[in-house]
Amino acid sequence: MPISRRTFAAAAVCALLPLSGCGSGDDGGSSDASGRIEGDITFQTWNLRANFKDYFEGLIAGFEKKYPGTEVKWIDQPAEGYADKISADAAGGTLPDVVNVSPDLVAPLAKAGLALDLDKAAGQYKKEYLEGAWASHQIPGMTGTYAFPWYLNTGPLFYNKSLFEEAGIDPDQPPKTYDDLFADALDLAEKSDGKVATLANVPTVEDFGRYGVPLMNSEGTAFAFNDAKGVELLTKYKELYDAKALDPQVLTATPESSGKKFLTGAVAMNPGSALDLGNFKKQAPNLYKNIGITDQITSTGHVNMYVMGVMVNAQTKKKAASVAFAHYVTDAEHQMSFAKKVAIFPSTAGSLDDPYFTKEDGTDETRVRVAAAKSLKNAVNYTPVLFSEQMKTALRNEVAKALQGKESPQEALDNAVKACDTLLEQQG
Amino acid sequence: MASSTVSRVRRQLPTSPWLFAAPGLLIIGAFILYPFVSTLVNAFTDRRTLIPGEFVGLANFRELLHDDMFWIGLRNSSLYVLGVVPALVILPLLLALLVQKNIPGITFFRSAFYTPVVASIVVVGLIWVWLLDERGLINSLLEAVGVGRIGFLSDQWLLLLSAMAVTVWKGLGYYMIIYLAALANVPRELHEAAAVDGAGAIRRFVTVTVPAVRSTMALVGALSSVAAFKVFSEVYLMAGPSGGPAGEDTTLVMLVQRTGTGLTGRVGYASAISVVVFVVTVALMLLVLRADRRAET
Amino acid sequence: MTRVRKGELALRYVLLLAVLALTVGPFLWQLSTSLKGPTEDIYSSPPSFLPRHPTLHNYERVADTIPVWDYALNSLKVATANVVTNCVGSALAGYALARLRYRGRRAATLAFVLAMLVPVEGIIIAQFTTMRELGLNNTLIGVVLPGCIGAMNVLLMRNAFLNLPYEIEEAAYVDGANVWQRFLRIALPSVKGTVAVVAIFAFMGAWDDFLWPLIVLSDPSKFTLTIGLNYLHGTFAGDERLVAAGTVIAVAPLIALFAGLQRYFFRGVGEGAVKG
Repeated sequence: MPISRRTFAAAAVCALLPLSGCGSGDDGGSSDASGRIEGDITFQTWNLRANFKDYFEGLIAGFEKKYPGTEVKWIDQPAEGYADKISADAAGGTLPDVVNVSPDLVAPLAKAGLALDLDKAAGQYKKEYLEGAWASHQIPGMTGTYAFPWYLNTGPLFYNKSLFEEAGIDPDQPPKTYDDLFADALDLAEKSDGKVATLANVPTVEDFGRYGVPLMNSEGTAFAFNDAKGVELLTKYKELYDAKALDPQVLTATPESSGKKFLTGAVAMNPGSALDLGNFKKQAPNLYKNIGITDQITSTGHVNMYVMGVMVNAQTKKKAASVAFAHYVTDAEHQMSFAKKVAIFPSTAGSLDDPYFTKEDGTDETRVRVAAAKSLKNAVNYTPVLFSEQMKTALRNEVAKALQGKESPQEALDNAVKACDTLLEQQG
Repeated sequence: MASSTVSRVRRQLPTSPWLFAAPGLLIIGAFILYPFVSTLVNAFTDRRTLIPGEFVGLANFRELLHDDMFWIGLRNSSLYVLGVVPALVILPLLLALLVQKNIPGITFFRSAFYTPVVASIVVVGLIWVWLLDERGLINSLLEAVGVGRIGFLSDQWLLLLSAMAVTVWKGLGYYMIIYLAALANVPRELHEAAAVDGAGAIRRFVTVTVPAVRSTMALVGALSSVAAFKVFSEVYLMAGPSGGPAGEDTTLVMLVQRTGTGLTGRVGYASAISVVVFVVTVALMLLVLRADRRAET
Repeated sequence: MTRVRKGELALRYVLLLAVLALTVGPFLWQLSTSLKGPTEDIYSSPPSFLPRHPTLHNYERVADTIPVWDYALNSLKVATANVVTNCVGSALAGYALARLRYRGRRAATLAFVLAMLVPVEGIIIAQFTTMRELGLNNTLIGVVLPGCIGAMNVLLMRNAFLNLPYEIEEAAYVDGANVWQRFLRIALPSVKGTVAVVAIFAFMGAWDDFLWPLIVLSDPSKFTLTIGLNYLHGTFAGDERLVAAGTVIAVAPLIALFAGLQRYFFRGVGEGAVKG
């Protein structure tokens, strides 16, 4: 059957074509953002429409008014599947002009030449942002900065006072250091006969960072969290796990499920953010009455923060308008008004000195906000930019093996580092 | 029927058969088979989501042999077939027998038994995770009757079993329908004759019902084993994206998803796993159908 | 004798009720959660099966948070299109595979069988690339197209046609009816039941799908209900009652549709349409 053989060959060739189709996208002097700010651009956010529709519509109207001749089309994607959506768009060449990203999403896009280098295209705006925030979208092994910093978040450690009380621990003396935390957790487990666990999450890469473990070598070419300090942290967690101070479902937990555990009173402590307070009030009024709030525990003097960014598609046809809009979204004025809508924090220099973030008025919300804003000034985004989803899974699975006692903490971390290094190499 | 008349009915204008089949072939070809051919090609490259690949020969397949996760995935997907298929071949048949007889209200029951099939798997996952939670409804009930709480969602094997239970729960109604159709064709006289002979319900089931629906059982076996080997959603939703404690509940298709998707996905390697999944499902299908044919002769 | 039969009948109902509790109970629990008001602690243990102050407030909030009716309309469009294309396309292809003799029939059948075996999770990006090359990404047509004639449905229709006796068509053939007439007037009406089965499968498949519409659509105004409902457990929202209300909204239309069609569905089943 000659015909069918020929069709097969044609199909195979076509199948290979997309390989050459998505090239590096580096078209020479592409980072030039001068020129008239005009044209239609698309702006994609990550799950913000449901609660902030009015804010974004106002924001866009303001931009279009300031720069006549521009039109911004806003699209918002749901939380789940965001990375899949961006991957399909990036591979298919349909990435929007301005995209809401997190540092780990930016890294592969920048490597593929799809994210605009803002040091070149918008270097003049650098000084408007907190230094650490601007640096959070830089990628080891590459020069340049690939997204404007947008909102930041961090938060305290919440605890359930009534569970502390039941175990005979002073609810007004929450743990301040890792040693306190581990001691209290063991105490709680022992006194409740293993019924009350303290934490519902296993240590993630940011926990290692906060404990003072070096995560990568100084060149950013290999991982290093299998040192003595890392092993020490994992050994502690193993003790907690054996003493039932970690929730029994901890090995399959997700941030969402551990939050739910805390809500249901199954665990005594959970890291969170100012956002969660409202949630507690709404969903578990009984818990809200007994909520305790204490500072995030850190051994380095720097708390962990999450950073959101806004990147510009390097292949956009409307470079000037896209850069201008990305800057407009993230400038001090608009970040400030966004921060007042929802419990997040601006990444622009000086914004955190606003009375809104420094003056307490006696409510829990303000107290959490003021404390968080204060700690953010020297906070660190511990999660390495190059730490991919696959690496997270590798670390998670090795940590689980150590907790189950299938591997020693040292073996587990050695394996995790090896797996992550291989993945790093394969990322190219 | 005489074969000569049959062939006369089948003799057609030369073009119309292809016209009939064309839309279906076109869609299947363009959106299933063509992308699958590109997956086959990718399996021999080191392509990543955003980085074009190069031909690497059998390197991906060689890597599979040394990848612990691959073997875990193969084990779990195979266990899934062994655990789910017998239940899905037998339980829906019993259910079909239960709802076959027209007694008052039976249409309501038939429809109600079909509801789990109708609901999306995401909804089903949400519901069952909440039911099987350490403090969920089922554990509260177990504790009330003195059994004590069971960590359905924390133990590697219980998790796999729970996911299988959900698969069976969701599939019961679907295969019940297929059996109902087959049972409708079993002549009533056979049952009556057996009853007159004094055969009990169980004897009648074994000697009359089972032989009459045997080819349907083979069909159900083939469909459910292919679906079971490709299991993704149930385990993903219940054991979490990383596949349960230490990833021990990962199935092969979960591994495809985990390694191949996202911005850092290894498309080439994931394609190699897809190829393995495809080969095994084809083999499973042939195995079941051959077993049926052998039993027939 | 009557006593035994009464006993058997009672046993049947007991079993039926037990299975009923197992299959429908979980949905009722979700419904109950969705009707609980904001002051009621949904995590309390022991659980309370009935809401103390039933309220539709959560449904209102879902509708306020996301344009749930627009999304439902999109889902309805996609699902309806999917039903029509699947019924027509699989009936045609199934008839060709079952009845018509032509070269390549076996190859065509094999193509459909193979298509059924392909693991969809592995080819989704390739599907998207194809769709973009056709310029159909971000359209509802793009959502419908890949599944618009399902391989499984084609094979179901093929089996149904295979089970029809040849004699009926033979008579029409003698009367001079051509292939289209025989297909439309004789074969198709005899497999109405299987068509109903295909219709329900097609509706369910389109209504429940999540990943493909998410990948292919960018514009929120085109989102389908399953994607839209995903906003409910997003970063800034996330209330178990709302999620429950959302799931009820997602499931209810399907149950209603099935309840409406079940008579045809089970009749079709009785025709032996799905037999292997």
